Amino acid sequence: MRLKPWLAAAALCALAGCAQIVKVEPGQVTIKETLKLTTTSAWNRFELQFPLSVAPGASEVWTQDGITLDALAFFVGVAQGQTLGSALPGVSKKLPPFRGTMTPGEIVELYEQLVTQDGSAFALKRVAPGRFGGQPGFRFEHTITRKSDNVLLKGVAQGAVVKDKLYLVAFTAPSIYYYDRHLPQVEPLMASAEIRAP
Amino acid sequence: MIFGMRRALLGFLLVLWAGVAAAQPNLAPGFTKLPPNSTIALMPADVELFEISAGGVGEPRADWTAAASKHLMADLRARKQKLGARATEITGDQDEAVEALNGLHGAVARAIVVHHFGGLKLPTKDGKLDWTLGPDAAKLQVKSGADYALFTWVRDSYASAERKAMMVVGALLGVGMTGGVQQAYASLVDLRTGQVVWFNRIVRGTGDLREPEPAAETLTALLTGFPL
Amino acid sequence: MQRRPFLLGCGCLAFAAAAGVRADDYDYQVPPRFARPEAGTDEGGLWAYMDREEQRLKRSSFLIRDPALHGYVNGIACRLAGEHCPEMRVYLVRTPYFNASMAPNGMMQVWSGLLVRMQNEAQLAAVLGHEIGHYLQRDSVERLRDAKSRSSFGLIVGLALGAVGGGSVGSLAQMGILAGGLAYGRDQERVADKIGIALMARNGYAPAEAGRVWGQLLEEAEGAKAAGEDVSSTNILFASHPPAEERREVLAAAAKRDWPGAARTGADEYRAALAPHRMGFLYDEVRRRRFGESLVLFDRLLKSSPRDGQVQYFKGEAYRQRGREGDTRLALEAYRAALEMDSTPPEVHRSLGTVLRQAGENAEATRAFQRYLELKPGAEDAELIRSYLTGSQS
Repeated sequence: MRLKPWLAAAALCALAGCAQIVKVEPGQVTIKETLKLTTTSAWNRFELQFPLSVAPGASEVWTQDGITLDALAFFVGVAQGQTLGSALPGVSKKLPPFRGTMTPGEIVELYEQLVTQDGSAFALKRVAPGRFGGQPGFRFEHTITRKSDNVLLKGVAQGAVVKDKLYLVAFTAPSIYYYDRHLPQVEPLMASAEIRAP
Repeated sequence: MIFGMRRALLGFLLVLWAGVAAAQPNLAPGFTKLPPNSTIALMPADVELFEISAGGVGEPRADWTAAASKHLMADLRARKQKLGARATEITGDQDEAVEALNGLHGAVARAIVVHHFGGLKLPTKDGKLDWTLGPDAAKLQVKSGADYALFTWVRDSYASAERKAMMVVGALLGVGMTGGVQQAYASLVDLRTGQVVWFNRIVRGTGDLREPEPAAETLTALLTGFPL
Repeated sequence: MQRRPFLLGCGCLAFAAAAGVRADDYDYQVPPRFARPEAGTDEGGLWAYMDREEQRLKRSSFLIRDPALHGYVNGIACRLAGEHCPEMRVYLVRTPYFNASMAPNGMMQVWSGLLVRMQNEAQLAAVLGHEIGHYLQRDSVERLRDAKSRSSFGLIVGLALGAVGGGSVGSLAQMGILAGGLAYGRDQERVADKIGIALMARNGYAPAEAGRVWGQLLEEAEGAKAAGEDVSSTNILFASHPPAEERREVLAAAAKRDWPGAARTGADEYRAALAPHRMGFLYDEVRRRRFGESLVLFDRLLKSSPRDGQVQYFKGEAYRQRGREGDTRLALEAYRAALEMDSTPPEVHRSLGTVLRQAGENAEATRAFQRYLELKPGAEDAELIRSYLTGSQS
């Protein structure tokens, strides 16, 4: 079995100390200078040089209980022609590019492609218009059956396209206990978002 | 280059599992020991033993795994009796709800291994062992009649004779080769709340689960600090 | 455990003489029932390991549990396996790749990517018969013994993956011992092909269908190449020895022998059995993003069923998802054609609306979205689609 390159990179990375977790204090946070949020609780922000399969290529990933449990992923300013997130190393499937003219339904398809790269199953439960970042946008709810351990995750995401760039926040957590536990902190956080599009 | 990568990977593994050497509480905040006359449900031990051939292929050895499971479960039962707690076992076909809880526990245990004992600590946890399965754990309580559940998970590999010979050659050439790694965790869950009240993990290059005495030694290491 | 030699006993000579046919490898004698091997042997270890994998598979969310489809596939496998039927358990797995396998403990897996590609029952029988052939020959134990003398990172990578929650440590797929990482040898495949065709013909299936399975896969690979897509390295055609062309030719030639009473294809029965599941399988197929292969598959299905609106809809989806220059027009044509066919899913109107909207045809797009909502008022995206109509979405 071939050695997966990302594992080798991860190994060397960990030994060199380029993997760490930083605390996000309650208050205002700005991601990539364009997405401003207010959080009432503290979070743990991942700073890793290799992609997490839960949301590969996200601008930032936050968690409260850990990498195998809850994940709050931010995709900030995905431009025309760029992919939403990035391909998992070792996966040959090429992700489709984002287009500024996409409908929310098509954006959900981008997200589905991103999170099913590892063979996980995605099921859309609901998608509806909404506001995000002070702009007209959309919201969707879904489930993900994680391939690696068969755990059922529930998810909610909100997003908007502003000046042809996509801003998306996606939260996933196990359907038993963890989703319901964190949702009361996630909803106000999503509602607080402001997009300062350049 | 190939063997260097392996060592790097093992290093990564150890970083994730072993973490920085600091006092890591194995107990959840507010929990010191099991109340007297508690009943503990022994979840079926998730054990897998492998033999590493000369070329490094890990071959699952069902006879070793069966022996290890037997030794571990027998030793667990003996300890329970010796130390006064009652034990039951969950066996046979699980229903969907129990299966889902089992799956969730695996994810929680991995989070604990990586973020509590390992090198990627979560600042918001503040060094505390603070993880839970949630109130759904009560389903396990109903099924087993127990107040607590003990989960054990073991992966262990052993070098075959050929492999050992290769390792000697490797050492002479200045090339490090793994002879086998034992990694295991044990997790005690309060079924009324779902809280993981005690957790321990080991990762080391020694230990032999195929015979009753060394298996008991492994279990002793694994259950060090078990809150009875 | 010794590998069983291919039997060419006197019995077959006598039969052949009586039938006036030349005695040869296709007069396969099925071995007697297998006993479970000793726990301490390598075969015993493999067997017990597969037992545990089977327990895991039983709990998987990716298992297709529908008793009707399971009963149908199980029935075919059982007939082919004859007296070995009680040793087998059949599992259908929802995953869009072409694969069927049988483990030494009797666990058979058939993946939905394969089910969606079979044109008829005979083709499925050919594949299942081939896998049963590997099982009867005990080929997997051979491969394990070969693997033990080869280098592999399986164990250490598996441990590392386990540590980051990437999968259960020691799962067979990660070990690369059998699943995916360990192809059967050239001779083993040739023998299994022969057994497969013998078993299917003896059960009345038209043996010509066996070679067609490979021909169909080859066409898909050619479609991918023609479309400028790289054929994925996990493609079964490139993992197999002997080459797919050879297998197609050998099987086609074998089919020309005298197989009395072997004429059934079972196309209608197969289509009926698959019908409740096929939409999901076609959806998975498009999601693979191997559009060159998918389009060849869809065209083949449409050739045998020209009014199949469901397949035609997914043909449109393939163009829409591919999104190359000119694909919008091709998608529109495909969706419009689907409207004229039977059993077209209501989602075609949503897709039409999406594509029309992008092309600036807002009035027609609105009509399409309206039609979608009429047909599927409780859809999970009904609120969103309604917002397109009221124009509250920019």
